[in-house]
Amino acid sequence: MKLTSTIDSQTQLVNAIKSNDPTALRTLYTSSFYKVESLVLKNKGSKEHAKDIYQEAFISVWTNIKNDAFVPQNENALQGYLYQIARNKWMDVLRSGHFKKTKSVPMEKAFQDKIEDDIQGQEAIFAEKMKLAMGAFKNLGNPCKELLTKFYFEKQSLRDIADVLQIEENTARNKKYRCMEKLRELVLVQKS
Amino acid sequence: MNINSNISQELLETIEHYYNGTMDAETLKTFEERLASDAQFEQLVEDVHSLFEGIERQALKEKLDEFHQELEKRNAIVPGDGKVRFLYYKKIAVAAVLVIALGSLWFFTGSANERLYNNHFSPDPGLPTTMGGSENFAFFDAMVDYKQKNYDTAIDKWLVLHKKNPQNDTINYFLGSAYLAKGNGKQAATYLQKTVEQPESTFKSDAHYYLGLLNLKEGNVDEAKKNLQQSHHENAVTVLDKLKD
Repeated sequence: MKLTSTIDSQTQLVNAIKSNDPTALRTLYTSSFYKVESLVLKNKGSKEHAKDIYQEAFISVWTNIKNDAFVPQNENALQGYLYQIARNKWMDVLRSGHFKKTKSVPMEKAFQDKIEDDIQGQEAIFAEKMKLAMGAFKNLGNPCKELLTKFYFEKQSLRDIADVLQIEENTARNKKYRCMEKLRELVLVQKS
Repeated sequence: MNINSNISQELLETIEHYYNGTMDAETLKTFEERLASDAQFEQLVEDVHSLFEGIERQALKEKLDEFHQELEKRNAIVPGDGKVRFLYYKKIAVAAVLVIALGSLWFFTGSANERLYNNHFSPDPGLPTTMGGSENFAFFDAMVDYKQKNYDTAIDKWLVLHKKNPQNDTINYFLGSAYLAKGNGKQAATYLQKTVEQPESTFKSDAHYYLGLLNLKEGNVDEAKKNLQQSHHENAVTVLDKLKD
């Protein structure tokens, strides 16, 4: 009985993360950070390294959950999985040439090499596009950023968004479209 | 990338439905047929898809930074992985204070008893503030202030709790500790005394230790000895030994 219920709670956590539920994301984030930090600190890393590697790992776990590439097997599966990925990533960084040569190499460089090794072909093209989109979204003006975050990240319905902004649902719909157009423009500017 | 080409509102929403899995079977069939036969269309859909994914990922990244700041704020004073025991902080704090105290002017001034006080007094490091339940939120909220050395704020918050619960030994003990850390010995003694009056209190031993130090500072050596004898605080014996000298 106990086993079923704990797996159930893991399934719930997985589903909540799929819908980007902020409480679930925060719970998972908090669950394993200190464990990863102490691993990194004990293995030549700094606090800053720990944060970077942990967030990289977190995004990988999140991506795998979204793509249904992860199914929880036991009560701590997700937390253990996150730790494992962070650990592997850190080991890769330690093994990488850059890190061996100088300890002060910016983390991003080491990551970059790793990422480029991992992805090839079609996936690499898509990853490149996504990176552009991320950069553009980062710099998007605030009203648009907020609206798009609510819709595409928090998965709120247009009706709920319209309620909060005290506008008509159709107005929200048009705004969202215009914001996406703005985002596309920004991507274009970045490219050129 | 065909990002120059126009994307109508309808097309954007169609693509949304496609990736959300909210397309009806017939539309889906037509859509997938077009994807398979029209490379330019496929490209366009991919581009829009990259926008969806980019937004989500960037929004997530910004969320993670938020979580991280929360973690750092919560644990500003607490080092390590949060699992380290209470005693461990205490040792570090005591060691640090001993080092500081050795170098401090106080070492060379004041009476022998005052020197002992200044050598051995370090504020109680407080309790680890984990992101636990909300039941004791008010208490731990004040604990965060205490650890950040905002003793006045912590005292104000604990005094509110103390009014509701005047016999609570934990609140009494930390009120005492906060006053002590502020250098208000008289107020500190009142609350610490209340703590030691609770026979079952976990803080009894530490409260005796601090009362002992306070009495020492005031020159009440006999009282101080009594307090220290009742304390299991790791420094209690050291201080007692020095009093015998």
